Amino acid sequence: MPTAVQATEVTISFGERSVVDRISFDIAAGSVAAIIGPNGSGKTTLLRALAGLLPFAGEILLFNRPPSELRGQIGYVPQRLEIDRSLPITVEEFLQLSSPECFSRRCLHADLYERMGVAQLRKHLLRQLSGGQFQRVLVARALLDQPKILFLDEPASGIDASGQETLYQVIQHVSREHQTTVIMVSHEFEVVYRYATQVLCLNEKLLCNGPPNQVLNEASLKKLYGENKVTYTHHHGRP
Amino acid sequence: MAVLEIFMLPFMQRALIAGLFLGLLLAMLGIYVSIKRMAFFGDGLAHASLAGIAFGLLLGWQPLWAAVLWAVAIALLMYLFERKTNLSSDTLIGIFFTASLALGVIVINLMPGYQPDLLSYLFGNILSVTLDEAIVITVIAAGLMIALSLGGRRLSLLALDPQQATLQGFKTTGLTIFLYVSLAVAVVLGVKLVGVILVSSLLIVPAASAKLVSRSFRGLKRNSLIFSLVAVLAGLVASFFLDWPSGATIVLVGFVCFIFCWLFSRTRQQKIKL
Repeated sequence: MPTAVQATEVTISFGERSVVDRISFDIAAGSVAAIIGPNGSGKTTLLRALAGLLPFAGEILLFNRPPSELRGQIGYVPQRLEIDRSLPITVEEFLQLSSPECFSRRCLHADLYERMGVAQLRKHLLRQLSGGQFQRVLVARALLDQPKILFLDEPASGIDASGQETLYQVIQHVSREHQTTVIMVSHEFEVVYRYATQVLCLNEKLLCNGPPNQVLNEASLKKLYGENKVTYTHHHGRP
Repeated sequence: MAVLEIFMLPFMQRALIAGLFLGLLLAMLGIYVSIKRMAFFGDGLAHASLAGIAFGLLLGWQPLWAAVLWAVAIALLMYLFERKTNLSSDTLIGIFFTASLALGVIVINLMPGYQPDLLSYLFGNILSVTLDEAIVITVIAAGLMIALSLGGRRLSLLALDPQQATLQGFKTTGLTIFLYVSLAVAVVLGVKLVGVILVSSLLIVPAASAKLVSRSFRGLKRNSLIFSLVAVLAGLVASFFLDWPSGATIVLVGFVCFIFCWLFSRTRQQKIKL
């Protein structure tokens, strides 16, 4: 399987302080990779650097090209998007700003909007949406142009339980059916175990890297979160 | 004299054409200023342009064009400092506009005697626009409006979500510089019409009024242009018949329009609650 992400000796610093320190890893195309780690461990920073939104030292290649050359083929859902709540803009207009062509001829992922409950929100103003609904719109926007690679920063934050389930099923669907590589930051081990095919444990350095059934164990989680972390017990029933 | 007759007067024709074109341009830019929450930017640029006007008067150049060049330079410096420091736009605007204004005061102090031209830039005088100025203002405003329309989607996304604009592959640096330079040019041309003190009103008030009553982004853009046209047209007519200063009257009409929009939006909200 071709490599979607090749990160070599990547260091990301803010001033004197290194947030991510000389990490290297590969992610295969079509994978669902999860980046886990405690608060402040550099997860979001790494995700943004991979998407080409932050400067870094070392080398990052997406499908053998620098991230800047893959613009237009990257989907990105931020942890939070602050938008002026007084701005009158409908969901449809918001999505059209990113991809007018896709909207006019209905793109391949149009069915996914309906599954995610975004289709019925098209005429709503953004300011009328709940946090969870807005998050779904952001995920839908990231899927608009059928990206080759999708970066998700805690995509389910604010979404209710059934919405989360649908969201992760959609993510799994685009990964399996459309071979979209998905890289997400998540705090939910259950989600990581169920949907991820690769887990990267980050706390400034890369502390573990592998399939969830090998990585999500007591020893590596203690190494990542410290001795006081809540023990993760996996309930079987993987889809 | 009937309303239509006043527009037979050449100075009123020039004022109307220059006012309408510039009003529309400032209203278009006001949308982006509003989304980016940089309302202070126009005010700062207008005040900063005073130094350009003062340099123009001191060196015997056409003050308006000296001010345009000066404001563009300040806008570019602002952009540079925004990129290279962690300081917020508002802080940088505060620093640059006060420094530029201070420089303007010092330059004015170097000039002997009373400066009537300078006073006209403080409060503007749309009725004193010459034919040449009206033509140049119209051409520049029309050119910038066409460019803003062509880049509308890109500029809107850049203002709303710069990260997404970058990921879409938009030339965000070029777009931002274009927006800042357009703002600098429009604001300084507006200084000629309504003055340093009032120009930011034409930038902010139409978009703010439109935000209150619009139910879509398309509606926001359309209503902002309509409110700007109403303010300029009704302001000019009212100032003629009431013999009030034209710039101040245009700004006050815009404010009245804003109050009506606010009342309308409140009434609509109450109806929805009922």
